[in-house]
Amino acid sequence: RLGKAPDWSTHRKPIFSVDIHPDGTKFATGGQGEDSGKVMIWNMAPVLREEDEKNEDVHKMLCQMDNHLACVNCVRWSNNGLYLASGGDDKLVMVWKRAAFIGPSTVFGSSSKLANVEQWRCVTILRNHTGDVMDVAWSPHDVWLASCSVDNTIVIWNARKFPEMVTCLRGHTGLVKGLTWDPVGKYVASQADDHSLKVWRTVDWQMEANITKPFNECGGTTHVLRLSWSPDGQYLVSAHAMNNSGPTAQIVERDGWKTNMDFVGHRKAVTVVKFNPKIFKKKQKNGSSNKPSCPYCCCAVGSKDRSLSVWLTSLKRPLVVIHDLFDKSIMDISWTLTGLGMLVCSMDGTVAYLDFSLDELGDPLSEEEKNSIHQNIYGKSMAITNTEAQLSTTIIENPEMLKYQQQRQTSTQTNSAPGTVGPESSAPKLNSVMNGESLEDIRKNLLKKQVETRTADGRRRITPLCIAQLDTGDFSPALFNSVPILPSGSSMSNQLTPHLSSDSSPGQPSSLGFRPSHDPMLTSPPANSLKTYLSNSGPGGQIRPFRIEPIKALDSRFTERSKATPGLTSSSTPAQKECKLKEDTSSDSEDKMASINKNLMYSKRKPELMIDGGEVVEKRKKGRPRKEKMTTSMVQSFTQVSMEPSVFLEVENEVTVVAGSKLSQLRCSKDGRDWNTLLPSSVVTAAGSSDLIAVASEDRMLSVFSSCGRRLLPAIQLATPVSALHCTAHFVMVVTAGATLSVWDVQKQKALVRNESLQSILSDTSVSQSLLTQQGVPVVGLSNGKSFCFSSSLETWSLIADKADSLVQCADFRGCLSSHDAPVSSGPLAVMQGRYLNAGRLASRLSSTPHHMQQSMTLAFLENQLASALTLQSGQEYRYWLLIYSRFLVNEGSEHRLRELCKELLGPVHTSATTSWEPTTVGFRKRELLREVLPVIGENLRFQRLFTEYQDQLELLRNK
Amino acid sequence: MAKVQVLNVAVLDNPSPFRNPFQFEITFECMEDLPEDLEWKIIYVGSAESEEYDQILDSVLVGPVPAGRHMFVFQADAPNTGLIPESDAVGVTVVLITCTYRSQEFIRIGYYVNNEYTDPELRENPPIKPDYTQLQRNILASNPRVTRFHINWEGSAERMEDSENVDPSSNSMLPPSCLPGKAPPIGILPDNSMDCL
Repeated sequence: RLGKAPDWSTHRKPIFSVDIHPDGTKFATGGQGEDSGKVMIWNMAPVLREEDEKNEDVHKMLCQMDNHLACVNCVRWSNNGLYLASGGDDKLVMVWKRAAFIGPSTVFGSSSKLANVEQWRCVTILRNHTGDVMDVAWSPHDVWLASCSVDNTIVIWNARKFPEMVTCLRGHTGLVKGLTWDPVGKYVASQADDHSLKVWRTVDWQMEANITKPFNECGGTTHVLRLSWSPDGQYLVSAHAMNNSGPTAQIVERDGWKTNMDFVGHRKAVTVVKFNPKIFKKKQKNGSSNKPSCPYCCCAVGSKDRSLSVWLTSLKRPLVVIHDLFDKSIMDISWTLTGLGMLVCSMDGTVAYLDFSLDELGDPLSEEEKNSIHQNIYGKSMAITNTEAQLSTTIIENPEMLKYQQQRQTSTQTNSAPGTVGPESSAPKLNSVMNGESLEDIRKNLLKKQVETRTADGRRRITPLCIAQLDTGDFSPALFNSVPILPSGSSMSNQLTPHLSSDSSPGQPSSLGFRPSHDPMLTSPPANSLKTYLSNSGPGGQIRPFRIEPIKALDSRFTERSKATPGLTSSSTPAQKECKLKEDTSSDSEDKMASINKNLMYSKRKPELMIDGGEVVEKRKKGRPRKEKMTTSMVQSFTQVSMEPSVFLEVENEVTVVAGSKLSQLRCSKDGRDWNTLLPSSVVTAAGSSDLIAVASEDRMLSVFSSCGRRLLPAIQLATPVSALHCTAHFVMVVTAGATLSVWDVQKQKALVRNESLQSILSDTSVSQSLLTQQGVPVVGLSNGKSFCFSSSLETWSLIADKADSLVQCADFRGCLSSHDAPVSSGPLAVMQGRYLNAGRLASRLSSTPHHMQQSMTLAFLENQLASALTLQSGQEYRYWLLIYSRFLVNEGSEHRLRELCKELLGPVHTSATTSWEPTTVGFRKRELLREVLPVIGENLRFQRLFTEYQDQLELLRNK
Repeated sequence: MAKVQVLNVAVLDNPSPFRNPFQFEITFECMEDLPEDLEWKIIYVGSAESEEYDQILDSVLVGPVPAGRHMFVFQADAPNTGLIPESDAVGVTVVLITCTYRSQEFIRIGYYVNNEYTDPELRENPPIKPDYTQLQRNILASNPRVTRFHINWEGSAERMEDSENVDPSSNSMLPPSCLPGKAPPIGILPDNSMDCL
């Protein structure tokens, strides 16, 4: 049967890409148009049902976009179905969104009378590639959009903030022709003409694996190399690979990126591989044994040899092979989300639809079952968002919750279309101008009303009347609800009629489906019903002969490679090591710098405080005084960096005064005001804060002065010489050579920590760092990387940081970092943890760490941080980590912990004498903290009950 | 891609006496804010025989043009009858609307125009010297011919020379049979665009 070619397209153009919308109601094709690239959106119904196909009232084509200047190589729907991304030879990636509220319209001047039933509008143009864009791919949850190009690069775009670019992945040395995301979102893989398949980590956008071996024999002969990742994430299947000079699709195992298996049988290079989105399990037949079978995946492979094969990972042979489906190479494959239908497109300008039955493929697992598989393997990262998708139908019960949800939505919406912020902001004004006036009225008076001016050179200049904003593509409904827009002049009706009636015009494309009459001989293959649907050429249907061949046609097997060496090159490993090494050295010096900054004096003394107190004392007794004696009248000057106005302390030892007796002079200058005082013994060390200055002298005396030089305390006699001295605010801390630590509150003239022995925390280590927080909490860092603080309330040493702690290295909470909160870098916790707190930096390397492990580690780490900040009484840090912690709990869905946290922060609503609840913690009112935490909880609809519960109680308390 | 798409042109006051001004209501859509004005022109083809009888009826700047959908009415005086060859006054000719951005033409919309006497008497026996007061101008509004050209929309860089026409109906249009006389070859059009005319 030959259909009549539509007058807008006289000959077929290649179709390079096809993609079915997630809701299964439409699909997009991309390819070559007349003189431009062409993206078309088609109705799925006529493809699926013959009656719809014959029904001329059912639109076949929904929209066509000619905006790409050159051939469109790839079209992909976002997972949420809101956007369509297209990439083409014009080096551009365009992102399309449906504009609501606009009725059908023709392309102006087009006599074809083909109406665009839906309006899809380009909302963003992504420009960065310097060559043809070959493939685009949305990450799971539409966080990123990846595009690859013949410029050898892959660009990752921030899909929530177009056109922001996240990164550009360089490393391929040939044209990059295919992309696929790991369903868990941990990796993105690319295949290029440089005979390699590369896997990139999404954590740091570095290369995870470079697989070359299966591609060594490949030539750059295929237009596309569309690889695919299995829905369970366990396998990655490449396009064109070679095994024993035969074209294959290489199976790459996620575990170790092993390449032991491949799909064999195609006679020419494999152009496209596409996994069915569903995971299947064997259909339980009545009477058959009920033993549970292993779930398996289904994969379609298309080749330049014009044939298509469909494989189940549970079978060693293909489920079905279809030869001669097309005249030219297969270019793209798309499965329906149900997993039972498939569209295949070809260079010959046609698209074929195949549908399968459950008997053929098996029982698809439900989303819950799929999630549980993901959860078993990777933890719950997929599950969360999937349940979020389910939650989208949840009714929001609380207006506050609604507010947060809406805020979140609007913020993502505005983010998604940043280029349109301008017009949006002026939209209200416009609406008021047009208020109550129909477009009809406007048009009647347009000539009189429009503003016309003269330019300097006397030319007429008309200011056009803006009738609609271009925001995210949605036009104001008020303007267009009076469709059809009829002109004031009667002549327009003339113009409109043809297109309104176009649906019934004979030139309308109608797909010419046909069902194969099954050859009685071919009983073994599954009975696929098959239709062809002609895309770019519309109804110009040609029916080609085709046959479904018995499976034997393809020599199919899962081959074991003779030499099972993984194609992983080791190149990345040395690079990593080197990188690591560099890090170490650089941060070492950082560390040094930090300690120097803390106390200029300190680095000199570092080694002197040993565990063996007696020995140290010996050493000090011999060493230090001698040195100072030799350098008589040695002038030491210290600068205390942390003090607000710089204060200079200068000590001059052994100043000879009258009668040969020697004194030491302490001079201090602050803001140009100087003072000095004399001390009987030579000064060993000095320290100061904004409030006071402390000086320790050789005779183990500690003197404390006010910032003006007034002596605040009588000299304190210490048991052993001072090893480290710190002043912060009105606190003085002394670490002695006898390995004891004391802290005094000078203001209250009280000891906070009294001669506390360090023995319990020192074991074959020495003190490398010490500091005193603003709240008077002493912190000691040891040479083994552990840091302790002494909690005076608990009267014990508490571990606050351990640089060797693997939790620190594995915790990955970057997803919970809020952009508003600048990380606290100056708090004592941050100082002690320093560079080791590089969230998840190592976590990414430990790619084998299962997600649930990492999640637990992160949780444990965050709780450690919170507890440490609390013990350190570091308020800002506590708040910072509290917010990260609650965000993490919200993301990971730990309701019990969240609830306990809220409960703790809220305290008892009804106060009674017996309650021991403290309303404040580390300087914050707990309920204020709860007020900050609640919006975070409100971001997840799942917790709306929790949110409401605490929101209400807070309100109640406020009203009291 | 083109930043400006013409969505519709409505021909107002049509048909009308020959001396009435032309009125086109133009609706267009702009993808992003345009830093410069658009320049629209109405060109009346005085004679099918030669380009030299073309008259630019008016040219107008349109701006500022922010992203969005806009409309305006472009009104231009009727052609100067003195410049029209007498033999071509009655019959079918063409009126063109062009739009340029940064001096580059990116769209050209053409309409057939039929000028004829309303009076059957005059129709039968047209005067040798055309009586423009009796002529009626009828623009075939239902059949616009649109030719689009790729231009360089960005300010800098070289101009795109390869004007590419996207004529959506390359072969379907026949001269309207209702119109008597000859359809003029339109010389000012690029060879590859409206060749079907």
